[in-house]
Amino acid sequence: MRERWPVGSALPYAAAALGVAAITAAIGLVRPWAELPNLTVAYLLLVLLLGARYGWPSAVSAALLAFLAYDWFLVPPYGTLWISAPRELLNLVVLVLAALAGGRLAASLAAREAGAVAEAQESGILYELAIAALREPVEAPALARLCERAVTPGGLEAMSLVAGDSRQAEVVAGAALTPTEVAESRVAMAARQDRGAVLRDGLLAFAPRVSGKSSAAFVVLGGGVAVLKPPRHRLNADQRRLLAALLGLAGLLLDRRRTAAISEHVRALEASDRLKAAVLSSVSHELKSPLASLRAGLTTLQMPQAGLTPDQRELVTGLNHQTTRLDRLVGDLLAMSRLEAGLPIEQQPQELDELVGAVLVGLRPVLEPFTLQIEIESGLPPVLADELQIERVLTNLLENAVEWTRPGAAITVGAQSRDSQIEAWVQNNGPAIPGEDLEQIFDKFWTNRRGGSGLGLAICRRIIEAHGGSIRADNTPDGPRFTFRLPTAHQAIEAAR
Amino acid sequence: MSGRILVVDDEPEIRRALRTGLGYHAFEVRTVETGGEALTQAAGWRPDVVLLDLGLPGMSGFEVLAQLRQRGNRAAVIVVSVMPDETDKVRALDLGADDYVVKPFGMEELSARIRAVLRRQTAAAVDGEPVVRAGDLELDLARREVKVGNRLVHFTPTEYELLRYLALHAGKPVTHSTLLRQVWGEHAVGDTYNTRYVVAQIRKKLADNVAQPRYIVNEPGVGYRLKV
Repeated sequence: MRERWPVGSALPYAAAALGVAAITAAIGLVRPWAELPNLTVAYLLLVLLLGARYGWPSAVSAALLAFLAYDWFLVPPYGTLWISAPRELLNLVVLVLAALAGGRLAASLAAREAGAVAEAQESGILYELAIAALREPVEAPALARLCERAVTPGGLEAMSLVAGDSRQAEVVAGAALTPTEVAESRVAMAARQDRGAVLRDGLLAFAPRVSGKSSAAFVVLGGGVAVLKPPRHRLNADQRRLLAALLGLAGLLLDRRRTAAISEHVRALEASDRLKAAVLSSVSHELKSPLASLRAGLTTLQMPQAGLTPDQRELVTGLNHQTTRLDRLVGDLLAMSRLEAGLPIEQQPQELDELVGAVLVGLRPVLEPFTLQIEIESGLPPVLADELQIERVLTNLLENAVEWTRPGAAITVGAQSRDSQIEAWVQNNGPAIPGEDLEQIFDKFWTNRRGGSGLGLAICRRIIEAHGGSIRADNTPDGPRFTFRLPTAHQAIEAAR
Repeated sequence: MSGRILVVDDEPEIRRALRTGLGYHAFEVRTVETGGEALTQAAGWRPDVVLLDLGLPGMSGFEVLAQLRQRGNRAAVIVVSVMPDETDKVRALDLGADDYVVKPFGMEELSARIRAVLRRQTAAAVDGEPVVRAGDLELDLARREVKVGNRLVHFTPTEYELLRYLALHAGKPVTHSTLLRQVWGEHAVGDTYNTRYVVAQIRKKLADNVAQPRYIVNEPGVGYRLKV
């Protein structure tokens, strides 16, 4: 890597002047004895050396000095810059041109060599860091080493890496930061905007220092932000390239760190899903078992063989109804908890008419007193649905309809294909729903029916929304209608055929 | 119709209710509390129907069922579960259960289920003839012909196989995975849209109304059942 000279850039020019003086003196000493034709070649050698060592400006100044010195001391008439012989003039012009070309060539070769050395060093550093990162499952040591490399040979005053997001940030490697700097890191991450420095064309570029602001620069990376303290002097191109590469690597490592944190979080969530499911199933067992005993006992007492008096039998029938109601309430509460626990649903292609059929068969005793109308369009594409959940929606909507319909009146179940979705509805010809209730009716615990849990329709909405569908209530001229929409499963049907 | 019913349940109140209620229905009833006792009674007393709760402490209902079938016990098994979890039903049916009932249930519903499995048992013992009937549906297994009333209905080989399997197990819920395995083969298990699509086709050809099915009943989350 090329070094800059902090004492100033006088040395190359001093070397040029000394070199030219020495060569001029040597030529002056040698010439009386040996009449050599082209002693100017010695200057050329000097120019090439200076070009290789200090670069192009010092080579040019040496060439010009050589021109002047040779003309003054060694070309007749001596002591003047006047040139009498055209041959000597040509000699000098050739010397200057050769010096210029040669010096330039040597300088660029030297620069290229220095660049190659710098690149080799840079690859070495990146290789070392990458290996460290791969070898250690935790990124911290690799990140710490990376921050050290950003200082030496990267040339920064200090570097720190901050992981996190706009809400919380944590210094994971490098120098400690002030609370203000950590807060500024969070701001940079939230805005996803660099401050004070930027990565451009594979180089790190610092913006001009803004007075009054903290001296640190913030570069946003994949999984965090790098906080850089720029040095007082300017960084050279190799250092800026190395720093850009280091920041790239830091971005990858922070990203890996974040991914690991996310998968850890997901594992924890899955464990909590399993726990929730276990708790819910244990709670349902505890709540349902006594109900099961009650129902079995009460329905046994209702049998003629039990020999109860009519009064007693009436009492038992009432208790049995209450038990059934309690069972439904417990079922609704458990269903709601299951939905609120966010346990996953299983969406598969389903024939909607099959689902409606299953629900109608299950509810046959309840639906007996009503006139049932089915208006399902034939050849409907399958819906993408969780069979049991949609069965629950249809059951709840039908039970709701039953509550509001006079015996003998009509309850309609319909479905049609609409805008590449399936629209299904349950309609009863009970009283219209007051306008202000049409939206609230789906809220949890909202009910205007005595003994209603206020959960049935809320459960419907949760389920339909979890399917990516929508549900609404309207008043039609024939009575209130509850309509829901579900996505179709076109691709699945293609695959099955 | 009478028969021997073995009730396996760890809740004393439900055992007492079932002993009384099923007794009123003229069944001979014994009740036990654990899986181990269930296996002993099943071997010694030879019940016609075992009413098996899946949530037993210790040896689970699934284990009892598996052992019963392993020992070649032919008693019909109706599994009883408080959990409305369909995967449990499917698992029990695939292990060889004949039907399931979800708690809480009424005594009428339970005795109807028990009678249905008893009827199927007797029917299976008597016949062996190559024609299976379910209502006005008639499958001639030798000729591979299906008639509704006296009308001959044509089915594709897949549709026929599925219908035949349901008919051979008429009245019993057959799981999606069993149908997929029997009709398509092991590789198809899991692709439940196959069964749904083919059942929809069969239904169309039988002019079976899905809302009031005369032949094939959909058991959500479980599979299908051919009505008897």
